[in-house]
Amino acid sequence: MPKRKDIHRILMIGSGPIIIGQACEFDYSGSQACKALKEEGYFTILVNSNPATIMTDPNMADATYIEPLTVEAVTEIIKKERPDAILPTLGGQTGLNLAYFLMKEGILKKYGVESIGANVQAISRAEDRELFKKAMLEIGIDVPKSGIARSVEEGMKIGLSIGFPLILRPAYTLGGSGGSIAYNKEELEAFLAKGLEISPVHQILVEQSVLGWKEIEFEVMRDCVDNVIMITSMENVDPMGIHTGDSIVVAPSQTLTAEEYARFVNLSKKIIRKIGVTGGGANIQFAQNPANGHIVIIEVNPRLSRSSALASKATGFPIARVATKLAVGLTLPEVLNQVTGRTTAFFEPTVDYCVFKICRFAFEKFPGTPRVLNTSMKAVGEAMSIGRNFMEALQKGIRSTETRRFGLGSDGRDKITDSMLKNPSADLINEIKEKIRVPNDERLFYIRYAIKLGMTNEEIYELCKIDRWFIDNIRNIVETEEELKKYRNENQKDGIRIPQNLLLKAKRYGFSDAQIAFLVTSTENDVREERKNKNIKAAYKLVDTCGGEFKAERPYYYSTYETKCESEPSSNKKKVMILGGGPNRIGQGIEFDYCCCHASYALREEGYESIMVNCNPETVSTDYDTSDKLYFEPLTVEDVMNIVDIEKPIGAIVQFGGQTPLNISGTLHKLGLNILGTSPESIDIAEDRKLFQQMLKKLKLVQPDNGTATSFEEAKEVAKKIGYPVVVRPSFVLGGRAMEIVYDEKSLADYMEKAVEASPERPILIDKFLEDAIEVDVDAIADGQTCVIGGILEHIEEAGIHSGDSAMVLPPHTLGKDIIETIKKNTYAMAMELKVKGLMNVQYAVKNNVVYVLEVNPRASRTVPFVSKTIGVPLAKLATKIMLGKTLKELGFTKEKVPSYVTVKESVFPFIRFPGVDAILGPEMKSTGEVMGIDSTFGMAYAKSQIAAGQKLPTKGNVFISVKNQDKRNIVFVAKKLADLGFKIMATSGTADALKSNDIDVQVLPKLHEGRPNILDLIKDNKVNLIINTPAGKTTKEDEIKIRSHAILYNVPLITTLSGAQASVNGIENLIKKPKTSVKSLQEYHKLKK
Amino acid sequence: MKSMIVLEDGSSFEGISIGEPGERFGEVVLNTAVVRYQEIMTDPSNAGKILVLTYPLIGNYGIAKKFNESRRCWIAGLVIKEESRIYSNWQAEGSLCDFIKEEKVTAISEVDTRTLAITIRDKGEMFGAISTTDLKKESLLKKLSQQKTNGKDFIKAISVKHPTPLKTGSSGPTIAVLDLGMLNSFIHQLKILNCNVTLLPYDTSASDILSMRVDGLIISNGPENDISLPKVADTVKTVLGKIPMLGIATGHQVIGMAMGCKLRKLKIGHHGVNYPVRPAASFKGEITAQNHSYVIDENSLKNNKSVAITLRNVNDDTIEAMESKTLKFMSVQYNPASPGFEEINEVFPRFLSMAKKGGGILKIKKNSKSYREVAYAKA
Repeated sequence: MPKRKDIHRILMIGSGPIIIGQACEFDYSGSQACKALKEEGYFTILVNSNPATIMTDPNMADATYIEPLTVEAVTEIIKKERPDAILPTLGGQTGLNLAYFLMKEGILKKYGVESIGANVQAISRAEDRELFKKAMLEIGIDVPKSGIARSVEEGMKIGLSIGFPLILRPAYTLGGSGGSIAYNKEELEAFLAKGLEISPVHQILVEQSVLGWKEIEFEVMRDCVDNVIMITSMENVDPMGIHTGDSIVVAPSQTLTAEEYARFVNLSKKIIRKIGVTGGGANIQFAQNPANGHIVIIEVNPRLSRSSALASKATGFPIARVATKLAVGLTLPEVLNQVTGRTTAFFEPTVDYCVFKICRFAFEKFPGTPRVLNTSMKAVGEAMSIGRNFMEALQKGIRSTETRRFGLGSDGRDKITDSMLKNPSADLINEIKEKIRVPNDERLFYIRYAIKLGMTNEEIYELCKIDRWFIDNIRNIVETEEELKKYRNENQKDGIRIPQNLLLKAKRYGFSDAQIAFLVTSTENDVREERKNKNIKAAYKLVDTCGGEFKAERPYYYSTYETKCESEPSSNKKKVMILGGGPNRIGQGIEFDYCCCHASYALREEGYESIMVNCNPETVSTDYDTSDKLYFEPLTVEDVMNIVDIEKPIGAIVQFGGQTPLNISGTLHKLGLNILGTSPESIDIAEDRKLFQQMLKKLKLVQPDNGTATSFEEAKEVAKKIGYPVVVRPSFVLGGRAMEIVYDEKSLADYMEKAVEASPERPILIDKFLEDAIEVDVDAIADGQTCVIGGILEHIEEAGIHSGDSAMVLPPHTLGKDIIETIKKNTYAMAMELKVKGLMNVQYAVKNNVVYVLEVNPRASRTVPFVSKTIGVPLAKLATKIMLGKTLKELGFTKEKVPSYVTVKESVFPFIRFPGVDAILGPEMKSTGEVMGIDSTFGMAYAKSQIAAGQKLPTKGNVFISVKNQDKRNIVFVAKKLADLGFKIMATSGTADALKSNDIDVQVLPKLHEGRPNILDLIKDNKVNLIINTPAGKTTKEDEIKIRSHAILYNVPLITTLSGAQASVNGIENLIKKPKTSVKSLQEYHKLKK
Repeated sequence: MKSMIVLEDGSSFEGISIGEPGERFGEVVLNTAVVRYQEIMTDPSNAGKILVLTYPLIGNYGIAKKFNESRRCWIAGLVIKEESRIYSNWQAEGSLCDFIKEEKVTAISEVDTRTLAITIRDKGEMFGAISTTDLKKESLLKKLSQQKTNGKDFIKAISVKHPTPLKTGSSGPTIAVLDLGMLNSFIHQLKILNCNVTLLPYDTSASDILSMRVDGLIISNGPENDISLPKVADTVKTVLGKIPMLGIATGHQVIGMAMGCKLRKLKIGHHGVNYPVRPAASFKGEITAQNHSYVIDENSLKNNKSVAITLRNVNDDTIEAMESKTLKFMSVQYNPASPGFEEINEVFPRFLSMAKKGGGILKIKKNSKSYREVAYAKA
């Protein structure tokens, strides 16, 4: 069936900021969709609040709106653009929910907008628990016993009739947010209350537990003439009980018989038909009883999902692209399979390898959170690996997670060593068993320990219900490790004695050179040389969708140790490698993938062959058509050098992938890989304290007093010299990992004690903390001769809050002209001194009209996409061209572009996932993603950024204010303004006194232990619309933590800094003045500037 | 034990013996299915072949008798990448390893099966030898050239020796199957549809078939290019048009031969579970399981006006299904495999309704669901 001609303009909804449960996979699917719609000639309108996406690049859609993903804003866009159809299936749960609410409120009907991809009925059937259950029972598919509760009482009744343990799933939440497992009455009651609150429709599903059953997923697609195809099966290594987004997953399934497989396929077909997807894909999750094969359905997502992104990358089948084409009425046989270039999308991909997905967690960022996994997703990112067997894929997967592990243990970083396991204490045995029984992110390692303890597959299975097949594969790895250990040398200088066969086997089982080196007491380098001498080299195989049946046109490779390498390097001399960013984590997100993609686009434009190396399946960079060649590989020295050996690129770009490539760039450089752009020597100057100081001295620039220390004694001396408070942190980290502001000697001692591996090479850095300074980020681009400012971003929050967590405004709104001039001058000077070729980011602090240099990073920063979107100049692309030899003049970018409008970047935080963790900002980065607000004034742009970030700034109601002493004077203005705007102010006694003495009408609330109703009661009763609570410094009071975590739980807008409060009041004032959101596309904004 | 597989073109691959020691020769075919190793090995259509499984991890879920597609393994040899150390599935009764040994299959693992597959893809299907005894390429190649035959003779051994009624005790239609290697899973579907099935030896005469007065005749799947096939085609030619008939895979080719069609060998056959088929000028098709290296040459069917080509392969446009009202038959080149446990492929109910009407062909309905509903109702 030809594509639909009755629709012309299509509105696509993106997924908004990166949060736990919704990451770059929707940029990947959205970008594919934009391209697919363009190919078919439709006018595409895109709305997404996340500027760090490829999809929001102005050339992707015809009209790009960076606006909050709310019914109000999208309604305005619909009014303005008058689309014929809305495509809600590519923007994750956010996009689907938004479409659902637009439908519920009659907006779609009013403006004649049709929902394509998944119609309203399909969305309701999949999302509404009751309708879903009914639909499944109608086609004879079992669902776990369950009931829908709208109140705690109802939930208790249902729960007690089903029996414990119970799974609780709030309706319409994302990534299982608020999902939990109740083992008893008390837990049930508590979780019900919480879950009902979180659900936007106040419904919660109380469900029979199928803990320990196999979790099987299928990706299915269906077109408008009822062709249905299976893309792949996936088997969760972790059985039911852990959110699939947190689970280790393999594709295809490994332990299903052909008959079971057929059964699942048949059910999947029935389900996608019943749900009513008529042009798109769905992810279907089943649970299967491992003892008798009984299957129940868990969930259907009638949209692109994290799993479908994984399935795409695992098979090579571009699900998002095909789904989009199906949504506009094309059928599967009409869509070309671009991977083979000769078959259609009407087939089922088959694979001849094993795919492994493993998650990246951020528990270290949220101290106090139990390191336990359950039905509420906690992973911040994921890595995928491919091998010819499970063991190879598993070990590659672990080293892809960027947790400094080189495989499944035996890399010198094991918590429990072999000698401890030889004579294990009862406690140790218990710990190991417990870590296997209770799901957590280290379980694979503990299974390894258990095997070493002598536990059988059966014993381990009984503890964790992970299929025996997987456990036995882990055992095979451990046994190989033991074999290798037989060739251990006493001395590093002794040659490697591992026989050829064993070495080959170890490589085939995924052992890294580093692991082998550790096992036989050698070095990674020597192992590499040894295996090259023995001709044991990585061979690259194609991911081709068809198990080798057809010749593939798209070069997408993985390494393995087989006889023949399929990657034939072109004779093209102009060939550049891009090292990607690996899995998302806090501090390193989609921003870096955005830059890597731009590097690839630039290479193509300049006629270079681009070679991408990355292991993150969610990203655009690992899409099959982003680069000329894609290597889906871990980003370690070994894995990268193996590719270099084959491809021999003229150089590598390492300044775009964030910390991941930077960490290995020194070693790569030493091994002979040319690093393009700013020289490694300059990077050294920027990163090495002493060299950096020398440079600043030479340029007559100032920095806060500072020093380094490797012990408490040294640290004490430094701190005494420069004076408290000081900022302390380890060197070479990203995202402010383990960074703290220390106010006195005692806390310094505490810090140094728990600190982190300090060593002469990696000392602790100590800086004078500039209290109440304004922080400024500058992104600039330079070609060695010229430097042009991309953007000067003023932080909203004061110094001391990690720049990744701070809101920022472009252009600066409080800095004077002279300060801005100084900042520019300093930036130019440093760019010239460092001979920067490419991007550079500088962090400044401004206090008492002095501009301090905090940090210089001669590489892409987190704010590059934000700045690029604001000024309409693709900075990362230009930077790449500079690295290839172009000048800024040749590229036509010689003058800073200061916009006539205002953009605000705001961060979003995962506190809701980590109950009990204090929701305050500090020097350690905690945000997972960002949004952008754009408008003609600061107030409106800020308000939009807050709304987009999920802070529903109120325009009336009650405001609770409680601030630390220091802020009491400055809060008066804020409170007065709020009172003037008609808000009722509430405060506890201390703050209330300060306000009263300034003639502000305040309702005094008792402190938590003084009486009730206190603020917590009011929060629960929905009687507080805004909370301003600045933490009292180091000794945060227990009461405050309670207030803040209640605010998070009950979704009350919470502001924890004075500057944030001031900006918010400004925003609120604007919202009251101009209640209607005005919307303008990026394309319109960029034209304005000229 | 070290082993080797050698292909006609001189390429060779090393591996490790995991089955019956020895030396075997046969046509090397790929199968790209991820699961189904037991079903593929026991599919009589694969008789005499050296089977290469492209999925690298084999044996994970073990073996269970109920998954056998016939009474034994018929392949000449098995080539895989990696055999699972253990099996894990509630239905498993034993390991692949034990099965291979019981069935005396010469099998080798640790082979770079992907490279082997690509060799075959690029050069076409060819003969090969696997050996656990002779690891010299040259001598194996020499033996290979002597062993290579154009026709094979397997159907005689595979087919039932006497007419074999399969008890169903039902009042449903009587269906005779000319057994060239009928799959158990097809028989199972017929049983669910309440059929009284009788398996007939491949060499049953036309007059014997006609005298049975069955409601329908199935010409089953089986080894291709077998020396018995021309004779079977002669029999079919005689009964064609007299009994409603269904040809499956090789049976489909036999019906073609009976009408005077020529067969053509594909460069690489269709062996897997992901082959799309559809009617010409239609967007609605089906994903099918297939296992064949030959197809009916379309040119030889051109002048036959009584036969309609009802389905084509989406990738290479080859004939996947034919029907003829006058000749009272329908045939499919693909395997009408059960779409799910205890469920029916639409081919069978469609054939039964044709048989019921004495050979009148139903119009192709757009909504294929109705066939399934028929099947459910009957089941």
